[in-house]
Order: sequence, then C-alpha cells, then structure tokens
Amino acid sequence: MDLTFQLFMYVLAAMVGLSLGEQTFIKGGIDQDLRTDGRKRLTYRPIFVETGIIPQASGSARVKLGATDVIASVKAELGRPNPSYPDKGKVSIHVDCSPTAEPSFEGRGGEELSTELCSALERCLLGGKSGAGAGIDLSSLCIVRGKVCWDLYIDGLVVSSDGNVLDALGAAVKAALSNTAIPKVQVSANAPSDEQPEVDVSDEEFLQFDTSGVPVIVGRHYIADATTEEESQMSSAVSVSINRQGRICGLTKRGGAGLHPTVILDMISAAKHVSEQLMNKLDSEIAAAEACDEMES
Amino acid sequence: MRGLQLSLDKGQKLRFERAFEVLESLSSKSNSDASVIVADDISVNNEDSILKGHGTAEMNDRLVATLCGVVERVNKLVYVRPLRARYKPEIGDIIIGRVIEVAPKRWKLEINFSQDAVLMLSSMNLPDGIQRRRTAVDELNMRSIFEENDVICAEVRGFQHDGCLHLQARSQKYGKLKRGQLLTIPPYLVKKRKQHFHHLDQYGIDLILGCNGFVWVGEHVEVRDDMIEDLSDKSEQQKVKSWNTMGDEEVQEAYTLDTRQNICRSANAIRVLSTLGFTITVEIITEIVELSKSMDLDVHEMLGAEFYVIVAEKEAERRSLPTKRR
Repeated sequence: MDLTFQLFMYVLAAMVGLSLGEQTFIKGGIDQDLRTDGRKRLTYRPIFVETGIIPQASGSARVKLGATDVIASVKAELGRPNPSYPDKGKVSIHVDCSPTAEPSFEGRGGEELSTELCSALERCLLGGKSGAGAGIDLSSLCIVRGKVCWDLYIDGLVVSSDGNVLDALGAAVKAALSNTAIPKVQVSANAPSDEQPEVDVSDEEFLQFDTSGVPVIVGRHYIADATTEEESQMSSAVSVSINRQGRICGLTKRGGAGLHPTVILDMISAAKHVSEQLMNKLDSEIAAAEACDEMES
Repeated sequence: MRGLQLSLDKGQKLRFERAFEVLESLSSKSNSDASVIVADDISVNNEDSILKGHGTAEMNDRLVATLCGVVERVNKLVYVRPLRARYKPEIGDIIIGRVIEVAPKRWKLEINFSQDAVLMLSSMNLPDGIQRRRTAVDELNMRSIFEENDVICAEVRGFQHDGCLHLQARSQKYGKLKRGQLLTIPPYLVKKRKQHFHHLDQYGIDLILGCNGFVWVGEHVEVRDDMIEDLSDKSEQQKVKSWNTMGDEEVQEAYTLDTRQNICRSANAIRVLSTLGFTITVEIITEIVELSKSMDLDVHEMLGAEFYVIVAEKEAERRSLPTKRR
C-alpha cells in the first residue's frame, strides 16, 4: 500500500514548499532510517524545559522541542462542580496559535489549528465524559461535594512552530501541572466555605501522562517528532497519549489517508516504547528546571 | 548566538564560556577603534568635507552612528557597515533561490532579500542547448524547466532601475539543484570568496555556499562544460538525455547510505556553525565533519550540547594559532 502520493498539507499553509528533489531526499532518508538532521525514525529532538515563567499563574512552563516553542500556563480558581459529576473538579483547555509562529496564524487563520490541538489535548488529558482513564484525576480537584471544586484553566500558546506542536504542548502542560501550586482550602463546618489559602508547593494529584505524536507514513515507515518539512510530506498522523503505567489515555488520528489496523497497532507499540524514554527525559528536564527555578527564587 | 538553547551542565558551561572569552579577546585586538554602537560619536575632522553615508546621522554638530557596526571610510565617504545585516546583493554573487512564481517570460525567486529576484527566460539555457530566440512555445514550456518550489543556483546579473534584482543561469554549473537538502543560515556568515561551488571528493558531495545565506548540500553531480564538448558528440547526448523523463528518474534514485550520512553530517556541521555564529567556509566544515567522524559521533549527536562545546573550543584554538596566510 503506497501512500506516498497522498500528501496532506497539514494546515500550515504559509510554509515554504519543497522541491521534488528535497522531498525525495526526505522520504529516502526516512526509508533508510537517517533523517535530514541525522535522527533515527523514532528519535526525538532535544527538549528544553523552563518552569515558573509566568509568576501570576498557578503554574507555567515553556518547552522547546528543536525550533518548536510553546508555553503553557495553569490557573486554578474556585467554582461549582457540574451537577452530573458532583465530586469532580473541572478542567478547561485552550490553545492559542500566535502569529509569531506563522504569518498565516494572524487574525482567524490559526483557529483551525487551535481547535484541533485543543480537542486533541482534551482527549488525552480528560479521557471520556466520566473522566475514566484520564490523565488528570478530576476527583482530586473536589473540595466540597456538590458545592465547591477547583476549576483548572490550562492555556497553551504556540510561540514558534517547527513541527510536532502537539507533543510540545503535551510536555508543556505536564510541566506546568507539576509546577502548579494550589492553595490548601479549609472548609469551615457551617455554611459555604471559608478559604484559608496556604500555598501548597508542587501539586502532584494527577496521573503522569505523556503524549507521543507519531506521524505516520511518509512512504512505508512512520516517524516520531517530525519537523515542518517532514510533516508536509505526511499522509496521516496518530497521536497516542500514554501514562506512566503504560496505559493509553487518549488516541487521535489526524490526516486524510486511511490506515490499516495492523499499522495502527504497530504504531501504538512504537509509541509506548518511545514514550518511556520521552517520559524519563521529560521528568529529568522538569526536575532540573524546577531546581534551577528554586535556586533563582 | 541567537536562539542557542542547550542544556549544558556545569562543566560544559564553563568550557563554553571560556572558549568564547578567548574568541572575544582575539577579535577585540583588531578593529576595536572602528567599532561603534548606536549613538557613538564618529571621529571626523570637521574641516574636511565629509559625505555622510549609511548608518550615520548628524546630531548637534556631531556625526553619530545609528547602527552597531564598523566605521568604514572610503575617500570622503564615511559610513557604518553593520555586522548583522540583511543580505546585500552584488553583481557576480552566486546565490541559491527558490522559485515562487512562474510569470510570463520570467521566474520569480525568493532569495532571502527584501525583494524577490527575477530570472528571465532569456538568461537561462534552453534544454536543447541551442542558442536561439525564445519563442512563444518556449514560454509555454517554462514549467518543464523550472517549476514552483524548485531550488535554483544562479548568479546576480544586475539591478534594474527600480531596484529589482536580475539573475542569470547561463552556465552549466547553475541551474536546478535536485539531490540534497537546502539549509538557511544568516547571510553575514558567508563571506565573498572566489569559489562558492565546492566538491568534497572524499565524501562525494557538492556544497554550494550561496551568498544570500542559502546553502545547498547534496550528492555530487557531474557538470558538463558545453564549450569543451565535441560538436559531434552533442547529437548523441541529446538523444540520451531528454530533460523531462530523465530528470524525474534521476531524482527518484536512492542514495547510498554513505552519501546520505555525509550529506547529513555536513548539514549538521553547518547548523552547528551557524547557531554558534562562526563564519562558514569549506575548510571549517570539512574540519568539523572530520572531527565528528574521528570522535565516532552519531550524526544526530552532532546537534547535542557536548559537540557544540567542542566546536567552540576548536574554533578558539584555531583562531589563536598565528595566522600565516589570510
């Protein structure tokens, strides 16, 4: 099944095109397991994490994956839980694609990509409607059943995009969440709650999750962590979100070409393998970033 | 060193900073009196009549720099040459561009300049090699020569009166670049030299350093010089090489793993050098590729923090050696 000629221009319309020779070079590289910058098919670019960059937010992080640069921030506010899920908190995710990333993102140009990234992240972090299998454990956000809960507002900003924005966003959200400090709330016995905020450092209430985007088949092989040029040649992509226990939290398939089921299973197992390494790398980077942060403050 | 994002550990950071200190100390020996930053005074003898060039402004009877750069004086003209400028084309420059539009009788190329360059159909050799007047049929077949998004190597022919840049690609060494990858680096890192086309024999790759900051690294392509060819051979070769069909097959052929590795290594060497802000020449590139091979580094590891530090150290070493010839 040759998917080489089903090119899917993945939204980044203002991107510079590639000549036939360059396209052949990229595809041949992927076939021979030596991409244009020397990476193997499943190798990630070096990741660079900075935490605590937005002091007004409850938690924030900036992640650089090669030339892709994203910022995520978490804001925690008190709110009422959803009546159908009285013992769960709420999480709302929003992604904004800044025009600094691509000129085409100006005004409403970036909206399509934003909504797509938004829904992909939601699927990975929040799981199904009941919250089962989610990356974030919503019941830990509850304060008083049916009355008060924490609302987390997670915002992502794409500052510069060079492929694989979804992974960078996932990593940034993870780093931001591990940087989040939510105040302790004391509920007085009588009427609606009184808060006595005490800052609780390093909130760890969520399951450690991880997203691995595994862009598919440029030719007959699949690669992880594509650059913009490689993404322009891809026909479809599968993003798999895996938590620390190796379970899948969410799965998104993007792109216009159809895939054989065995290919998807292959990619899921590849994603599991890749995500372990990525998780460890991310954890060490986040720890280093937090240590740096503490030293400075 | 813009955009340098490396996670260096303590030891690496120290070595890195030390290497850059050495480099800074070396560079400040020359030219330090001529370098200015914005709003510095430019020393002029007020009695001479001086022409105020680019990057200068007169304020309160003093001549003041408006750019960061080096003061140049040519006869009566005083101007400031910026260190990091947009590419400034000159006649005879070899540049690499990407076709963005096929217009009547010309191609428009993007060359990392403030305007798009123009390559006229008449400044381009026709596929059959005959020198003749371009007809309407030639104009209709322009796409068979160059299409949108093709990478082309050409030479600056001159400027039009409206500032538009004209290119020419009449020689056999110019033309479409097919097998390889294109890199973009800041244009001030490529100095004007006699030779911009380099054939690295030991690796079997072609390296073209465009003056506009586009660098092409690709598989070696044999360049036939039309002049030397025997006229009797020409008709045979025309039968053998017909542009359209042969072109695609050439492009689709697989690369050998060796060639691909060499191409990727050279490309990574150029990426490292451009991030560190060092001038790019063939000698430096070959040195770095040799260095990475001798250290048995994986091609991808050339973009890791350790290699950056080593390259910086090596450059500091190289510049502190007494320069025998420039």
